[in-house]
Amino acid sequence: MPALSPWLRLPAALLCVVPVLAQAPPQDAGLAERLYRSGDRAYTDKAYKEALETWTQLLQAAPGSTFAPQALLRLARHQVEIEQKPDAAMPFLDRLRGEYIKSPEAAEGLLLRGVLLARQARRPADLKDAMAEFNRVLDLFPEAAACAEARLQLGRAWRDQGQPGRALQLFVDAFRLREDATAAAPAMLEAAKVLDTLGDLPSCLRMLQQLRTRAPQSPEAQEAAWRTAVLVKQRLQKPTLKNEGPWPAGRTKWLKTPILLAMAPEGDLLLFQSDLDRTFRLRGGELIPQGPAAPGTRALVSAPSGPLWLLTKAGLLREDTPTVLPLGALGAISGAALDRWGTLWVADAKTPALTLFPLEGPARTVASPTASALAPLPTGGVVIAADADRKLLFLDPDGQPRTIVPYGKDLPAAFRTVTALAADGVGQVAALVDGGDFGEGVVIYGPDGAVLRQATFKALGITGRITSLVLDRSGGVILCDRRNDLLLRLN
Amino acid sequence: MRLRHCLLLPLLCGLLLGQDATVKDAFLQAKSLWATQGDREGATQRFDSVVAALAPKGISLEPEGVQMLCEAYNWLAVLDDRSQQNKPRAQVRLQALIDLNPDFDVDRALTSQRLAAQFDRLKGEKFALVKLSLAPEGGRLLVDGKAVPALPRKYLPFGLHKLAYARPGHTPAELTLELGPKDVKTAEFKLERIASTLTFYVQPSDIEVLLDGKSLGHTTGKAGPEAAAMATPLGLRPEDLSAAFVIPELPAGKHRLELRAPCFRTRILELGEDLATPPADHTLEPIRMEASKGILSVASAWPGGELFLSGQSLGPLPVVKALVCSGPYELLVRFPGGGFSQRVTLQDGKALDLEARPKPRLAFAGLEGGDFTGRARFQALLEALGDRLQQLAFLPARPGEAPREALARLKASREAELVLIATPVQDPVIHRVELVLATLDGEEEHLLVKPLEQDPLGKLATRLNTLPRLSEPGLGLTLLDVPGEPGPWVLAASETALKAGIQTGQPLLQFEGKPLPTAETLRQQLGSAKGSLSLGQGGAALTLPVLQEAVELPLGSPELCYPAILSHLRLQYAGAKGDEANLIKLNMALALMQFRRYDKAIELLRDARLTTVRGVSQGTIDYHTGLCFIHLGPAYQSEAAQAFRQALKYPQATLLGPEGPLVAPLARQALEDLR
Repeated sequence: MPALSPWLRLPAALLCVVPVLAQAPPQDAGLAERLYRSGDRAYTDKAYKEALETWTQLLQAAPGSTFAPQALLRLARHQVEIEQKPDAAMPFLDRLRGEYIKSPEAAEGLLLRGVLLARQARRPADLKDAMAEFNRVLDLFPEAAACAEARLQLGRAWRDQGQPGRALQLFVDAFRLREDATAAAPAMLEAAKVLDTLGDLPSCLRMLQQLRTRAPQSPEAQEAAWRTAVLVKQRLQKPTLKNEGPWPAGRTKWLKTPILLAMAPEGDLLLFQSDLDRTFRLRGGELIPQGPAAPGTRALVSAPSGPLWLLTKAGLLREDTPTVLPLGALGAISGAALDRWGTLWVADAKTPALTLFPLEGPARTVASPTASALAPLPTGGVVIAADADRKLLFLDPDGQPRTIVPYGKDLPAAFRTVTALAADGVGQVAALVDGGDFGEGVVIYGPDGAVLRQATFKALGITGRITSLVLDRSGGVILCDRRNDLLLRLN
Repeated sequence: MRLRHCLLLPLLCGLLLGQDATVKDAFLQAKSLWATQGDREGATQRFDSVVAALAPKGISLEPEGVQMLCEAYNWLAVLDDRSQQNKPRAQVRLQALIDLNPDFDVDRALTSQRLAAQFDRLKGEKFALVKLSLAPEGGRLLVDGKAVPALPRKYLPFGLHKLAYARPGHTPAELTLELGPKDVKTAEFKLERIASTLTFYVQPSDIEVLLDGKSLGHTTGKAGPEAAAMATPLGLRPEDLSAAFVIPELPAGKHRLELRAPCFRTRILELGEDLATPPADHTLEPIRMEASKGILSVASAWPGGELFLSGQSLGPLPVVKALVCSGPYELLVRFPGGGFSQRVTLQDGKALDLEARPKPRLAFAGLEGGDFTGRARFQALLEALGDRLQQLAFLPARPGEAPREALARLKASREAELVLIATPVQDPVIHRVELVLATLDGEEEHLLVKPLEQDPLGKLATRLNTLPRLSEPGLGLTLLDVPGEPGPWVLAASETALKAGIQTGQPLLQFEGKPLPTAETLRQQLGSAKGSLSLGQGGAALTLPVLQEAVELPLGSPELCYPAILSHLRLQYAGAKGDEANLIKLNMALALMQFRRYDKAIELLRDARLTTVRGVSQGTIDYHTGLCFIHLGPAYQSEAAQAFRQALKYPQATLLGPEGPLVAPLARQALEDLR
């Protein structure tokens, strides 16, 4: 038999191979499903190692199966939710995005990737990649359930970039286009906050009421309730401040030199007692020790995730970190605040600048007058009291003054110094003031710097030595009196 | 001769066509030709024609036909026997006769002794005689399981035979006989009576018979001459009655005999004990059923409706006092756009008046192929879906019609607004069925259900029955639940409310004289309120009118089925005017936006004009118009900007409802984004 010409050998070989390729067994879909279910069962039983191994095996054995993207998403979620290692989740999410972009799981994967990227952001510009992922969810999977959450996250990103109008659009769409979504209640709450930022208080209050009507059992509804109470009382009713006397329940002489107050994110009062060198959480009328002993504490900061940060002469003590972090040359700390990027803003009574300590990297300073007090603002900036200039400065997240309020503006008389500042989550600022013709007293400002309520201690009948204050969630002011070892409430 | 053949041809053709009368006529002519004219040849030809017509039918012939064929064979054998030329054929005729009916005996007066002996010899070669004694007579005789005439003499082929004899009301009996050549055997059956029998005739036929509530079957056929004696006194012919219906064993005691059929009044006869004891045969007087009808009237405010009862048209609406057979019906009114369906039961002599409001019609196109466990149950659930729908008229699938064919038919005829088609998901093992619910214009929803779950269609039925409101009652107040306040706090009030004395910044304390703890309480009370309401803020009671405030269709709600809502809105729009019509247009556009049909939504929004400026109003329409243009791409940027600018002219316009977010800041931002 004559051999084939070399020109015909390749086509002939291909012709021989084609039927073989055509008959190649398809990937075993049944095996992929069994592996996925097996991993799922192990995961439910909290046998995580076995589950992860099984899903990894699935990815190797049947990468073309529809269960492969599901496995990748589960692997990523495990790293985030159980292992608390978002960086370890990224390779799975990258592969999901790169190889399975057409799968239904890709929407959830992109969303999770965006959320993780947003968490890593340390400044507004860092949100770019996260926003791109959220936009991909909306563009590629317009029908997906993940869209509502993507809109919510995108709205937050725009808000953090100083674009409240765009943020509002996205928050509204998040609850308007998917009524049932779990993101609806948070989106309504965020929309209400943005509306207040935009100066539309009636719309903000209506939104809070709608949230309470539509999702009455949600945590957001609980927050909406106290926000409504505070906004109505402080901004609309503005009743004259009255001294309710010792608080809670008329208790006197029950503390050991209280000097600092702060409000925890969940609404509990945090109280530093100088004689005990400790901070306590007041819950249900009982004092519960919180954080380490910290002699010489000058400022209390409660992080949004819960741990207490104490600023002392020795440095920063974090409840969640055993070591003391030095705060440089700051020896007269007059106030501190954590912004949404995790940066600690510290005011020092002897330093004509604010010192910013980011989560990572070196500290930097922001030009500012010397601040005798500092409090965080919900917009991401801070408010400081500059006694030398006799002004209150409302700073934006970049440290630039947005509103400047001279001491005594809109008051019958001016005061000279600010002993302490406190802000509530809604944007009101309370100042503990002293000196001048006004004397010792309390002034409550709105987010725009307008005086909402004020009273002198003389008028209130307070004779103790007040060193700190907070705004509570019922529209009242709590003062700590170190001389009489008690708390007072103004309402 | 040839001419005769030619003349006989049409006759043969007629015979072939099964014209029994012609065959009989030919048979009688043949006998006459022989008896009166001695025309053997003519008689033979006619008998042959009878044989040619009947012989192919063989055992399927009626007894009369068998008898005629047997006689024809007999005659032909006699005629052939007398012809020297045809004599050999005589034996063939006799053999054919025996094969046809061995019990037939040749006419001994007609047949020569020699030929009769030949007949007996031929029969004796294959058959043996069995003499039967049957007591009582009139029963049913079976030979080897086959019913045969109960004659006193029967010829049976050699071999083993099983004979059985039965008669209603008696114990049946059977015996086995071994027959051989020249055997003459006797079979004696004496049945023992065990119960009474009841025989009756009913006019008309096809009536269901129930004894003590248990169905015994239906009367069938027509009575024969034996019923003449009973039919005539009633002014009826025997054929007006059904064939005799026999209850073979009437148990002892009293009984209730029930006869029922659609369109007839049910007859109930109480049977006394004497009918059952002592056992005997009883025949009742013929039972005449009386017609039963109800009076049906159907009207509608919508024009163009046509009434159908279980598929039969009763003509256009209104249908006034139509006499209709009593019983259950699937009532359907087809409107030019929509339908109304209801399962109704018309009762004898009673009137049923219905007002038909058109509903969107949901046609079930069928369940696609693909075998899976529980298919029959799932199919039944799909077919019964209509019983669970209150807001839609359900059109079941047509038997034997493939789903794709049904879909094509529905699209062509547009006799439904919605189509449901079920397709098993072709997994290795089918555990899921995809339901596609679509409008004829292509707005569709896909649902996956598990056919083995308890109620796979429950969620769909609930969603199809849920219709959103397009307005809600309100008082023109914006209320807040402020912790610490004794009642809902008035944030804002309409001009009307302010004129009525409502004070903003104060709580509402009373509602219709009762304490009012929250805004939600008031909202719930408003749901059932009409006219005006009395409110209190601590002073004198105030009266506020209850207003209907427009709301938007909720989007992305799992509780709603958007193709169905779209169909409802289209139907509602047909009968709406003014602001109501324009509000429906807005909501139709929203539903279309849900399906990304932005171009179609713009068509609706462009023509919609609301006279209101607060809440869901003209500004809302303009804002949505702008959004639709944005979705159409950069080519429509200027139109989008124009729409958003229009929306800004209505600073009090909101989305969702009267308390929803204001349109203005959103439109402003959208304009900024466009720049």
